[in-house]
Amino acid sequence: MKSVSRLISLFRMIFFLCILVGSISILGGFFLIFHVARDLPKLPSPLSRIIETPQSLIYDSTGQVLMGLGERKAVPLEMVSKNFINAIVATEDHRFFEHHGINKLRTLKALYITLFESDRVQGASTITQQLAKNLFFSFEQSWHRKFKEMLVALQIEAANTKEQILNAYINQIYFGAGAQGIEKASQTFFGKSSFELNLAEASLLAGLPKSPTRYNPFRHYERALKRREVVLERMVATGFISSLDAQKAAATHPELHQGRVDARRGSYFLDALMKELIQTYGEDVVFHGGIRVYTTLDTRLQSFARDAVKQGLERLDGLMGIGLNENGLNEHGPATIDRPQGALVAIDTGSGAIKAMVGGRDYYTSEFNRAVDSRRQAGSGFKPFLYYTAFQTLGVHPGTIMTDKPVSIKVAGAKDWEPQNFERQFNGNMILKSALNRSVNTIAAQLVTMTGPEAVTALAKACGVKSPLENVYSVALGTSLVSPLDMAGAFSVFANLGIKHDPFLFWRVEDAFGRVLFERIVQNKKVLDPALAFQVVDMMKAVVDTGSGRSIRGLGFQGPAAGKTGTTDNYKDAWFTGFTPSLCVSVWTGFDKKKRLKSKKGTGITGGRGAAPIWADFMINAMKGEPERAFSVPNNIRFEAVDPFTGCAPEPGGPVSSVPLKTGQVLCGEAVQ
Amino acid sequence: MMQRWYDPFTVGEWAKRTFSFFNIGLLIFTVAFGASEFRFDWCEKLVGTYLLATNDLRSETGALWETGRQTSNAHKSLNRIITQREDSRRSVQNADSFYNIVESLGPGEWVTLEKEHFKRLYLSLSPGIGRQLIEPSHLVWLLNTNLTDRIFCEGMTQGVSLYFIDSRNRVIHQIDLKKNTIGEIQSRNEPVPGRLTDIEAFSGHIYSSEKFFEAVFKLPVEMIPELMVDPELLLKQEGTIQSVGIWNEADGGYIKLGFEFSHRGGNRVLLIQAREWAVWQLSLILKGEIQ
Repeated sequence: MKSVSRLISLFRMIFFLCILVGSISILGGFFLIFHVARDLPKLPSPLSRIIETPQSLIYDSTGQVLMGLGERKAVPLEMVSKNFINAIVATEDHRFFEHHGINKLRTLKALYITLFESDRVQGASTITQQLAKNLFFSFEQSWHRKFKEMLVALQIEAANTKEQILNAYINQIYFGAGAQGIEKASQTFFGKSSFELNLAEASLLAGLPKSPTRYNPFRHYERALKRREVVLERMVATGFISSLDAQKAAATHPELHQGRVDARRGSYFLDALMKELIQTYGEDVVFHGGIRVYTTLDTRLQSFARDAVKQGLERLDGLMGIGLNENGLNEHGPATIDRPQGALVAIDTGSGAIKAMVGGRDYYTSEFNRAVDSRRQAGSGFKPFLYYTAFQTLGVHPGTIMTDKPVSIKVAGAKDWEPQNFERQFNGNMILKSALNRSVNTIAAQLVTMTGPEAVTALAKACGVKSPLENVYSVALGTSLVSPLDMAGAFSVFANLGIKHDPFLFWRVEDAFGRVLFERIVQNKKVLDPALAFQVVDMMKAVVDTGSGRSIRGLGFQGPAAGKTGTTDNYKDAWFTGFTPSLCVSVWTGFDKKKRLKSKKGTGITGGRGAAPIWADFMINAMKGEPERAFSVPNNIRFEAVDPFTGCAPEPGGPVSSVPLKTGQVLCGEAVQ
Repeated sequence: MMQRWYDPFTVGEWAKRTFSFFNIGLLIFTVAFGASEFRFDWCEKLVGTYLLATNDLRSETGALWETGRQTSNAHKSLNRIITQREDSRRSVQNADSFYNIVESLGPGEWVTLEKEHFKRLYLSLSPGIGRQLIEPSHLVWLLNTNLTDRIFCEGMTQGVSLYFIDSRNRVIHQIDLKKNTIGEIQSRNEPVPGRLTDIEAFSGHIYSSEKFFEAVFKLPVEMIPELMVDPELLLKQEGTIQSVGIWNEADGGYIKLGFEFSHRGGNRVLLIQAREWAVWQLSLILKGEIQ
């Protein structure tokens, strides 16, 4: 009797205690609501106002829209494929049409799992809660934020119909690749309107908001398909589709819209463009001002550039024996580490417009833009500036004879500079055209002692090199740090026979009403003597035809071209910068961490082997269908045959080279010592 | 264990107490309370309605409103740029001299100048002054062929640059108008009070009008117009020429001549441009080196 009485007494106590705790909780809850409600954000009315931000549009060089910034192409619910609506509801919140902002059972379950199951965190956000979070809150994980988000969700439910909420949600969620809202996502990933999405496509898109980067189909197609299976299972479970429909959809591999792949957020060109626009107009104007930016980007050339760099670097991987083992690792670690990088910049020589830009092998692995922000030694790629300076200040010309011999140059406060040739041998007398063609360092060193390094750096700067250059003798051999953009811009001055155009990324900026904020005008600035510039161009043509860049001809590019390879000490950088009369392209390859580019056999990889093939690959495609145009020859230039070893008229049957001479210049002058 | 005074003595008493109306009512109420919330979501609705009623009292915070503020800032910035540009454009449109254009544009500001407007301003200059800006034949080539699409004016620190650009936005010709130069050019049309002897640059090169014109008429006939490129400026002046001075340095192939007019007891100096080589010939005659 007593034990029964004690048990009943205990139960009664627990019951009243529960009632008391429950009552206190309810009161506390209401108090908390009143307290927190003061800090809640105001809700816009109507909810559709959330999509009223103007978009800034970026156009390519042909006037096609590349991408919209802050773009939300809002579509009414009835203009969105039913497949997508069902897929998103089934995946994100299948009780959406039943609850009133919060799915209580799911919340309690999630709370239990989060509290009592270690290492597991369960989310229970309804579509309304997700909308509240996206509209007002940061992504900071805290109970306080979660509670506020819940309250706002209740208000959204109280103020709007389910259709209005769903409409706001699908027009506002982020799908990755710069696509916000279902219509933009549909256009970005499939190049069609959201109304036309079939089940296979709709279910793929519905899986993306969970982790837009992780499931980005452009980057991880297989992963996105796996996620789609989850979506299809949810649709079957919630009765939206049959298992058969799900199987059919799962078997379909939707084709992604590749046409404007560089239009996606995540391109080196757009990064560089954004940086410049923000510097000029500020972030608010760029992202929220609804401006129209007409860029110089040629999507066709950009696509060739991207492919050329990708394939060229893969070829380089093969050459260097860098591959994956069964764990997806190379000998040094993850596959994305310790692989050579590359960069390419293509400039229209006639205007300075940057037509294509690739800043690395993969933007998603590394956003560092090596085309603009990376400064590396140019090696022999810098010699054209030296030769022009020598022509200008010393009165020498491509037919002037000099001697390839050991040189020792006194440097104040340091040990003597004794530059070596690439082949570690000396070849005696030769004309300057041969010296550049064979990239003879000792002759370059002799020239720079005569011109002085200041004159060489001054010329490079006059041609548009913006990176700081050191006034040291070794600048002639390319020891100063420059970017591919510097090199492409400066070499295009040679391509134009002395006319300089500053490289630029956009032609015009307008506001939303078409009023012009900025307009680029192309101004010719004569910085070099056309005849002397032509002499350097002729020497660089020989580099491509018979010198260190001859791999370009071997790879099939036969049009008029000139250029110069560059390989730095210990093969840390391999360059090729070259041009046709209309397009100047600089290519760099190397490791970010200044590691050597060495083949499997241990030999170093030069600019001719590492960068020139990328250049050739790009140019073959870029110049396809373009009329072939030779470099124009200034009126005061004549061509003379010369013996490349004596600098005099060739002996019958002896070796012959052709050099361009300016009026007044003669062959067989005194050798320069 | 001791029996407490309030404990029931029988099981019946226990049951009676346990299943009392109050307890059962409380239990039913509690269960109904919980179940009704799960069934009708009245708690959510209540809270939602409360929050909706107090919506206007709350502040516009959070990502959405921040975006709105950024949009508003962007519009303000853009409007400022556009307004500034419109003001410059209007000033340039209303400019009746090149000096006004120079005055209208600050460094970095730019507007497009209509070709007809440029022609009007150019033709308002006397031929000599106009020629200093650009040779008329060159201007005909630029403006009367379909070469020039627009004229782009850009403000610089010391004046403006006028770019004649083609339809591909390439600069065909550029004229730099420096503020002090253009001011000086414009002021040449108007005489300034004073005497030639007040101006240091004429020192040692001032001649009486009789001597000056005597020398002028000794020049070959075809050379005289080069000496007085803008004779209409002189003809427009009131009063009589007392003396003429020759500036002590040339500028761009021209030398200034100063004509001192006397009118109603006052003296004024008018500067005009003369071709350097014609003045050089005249100087030789004035110095008696050529008869």
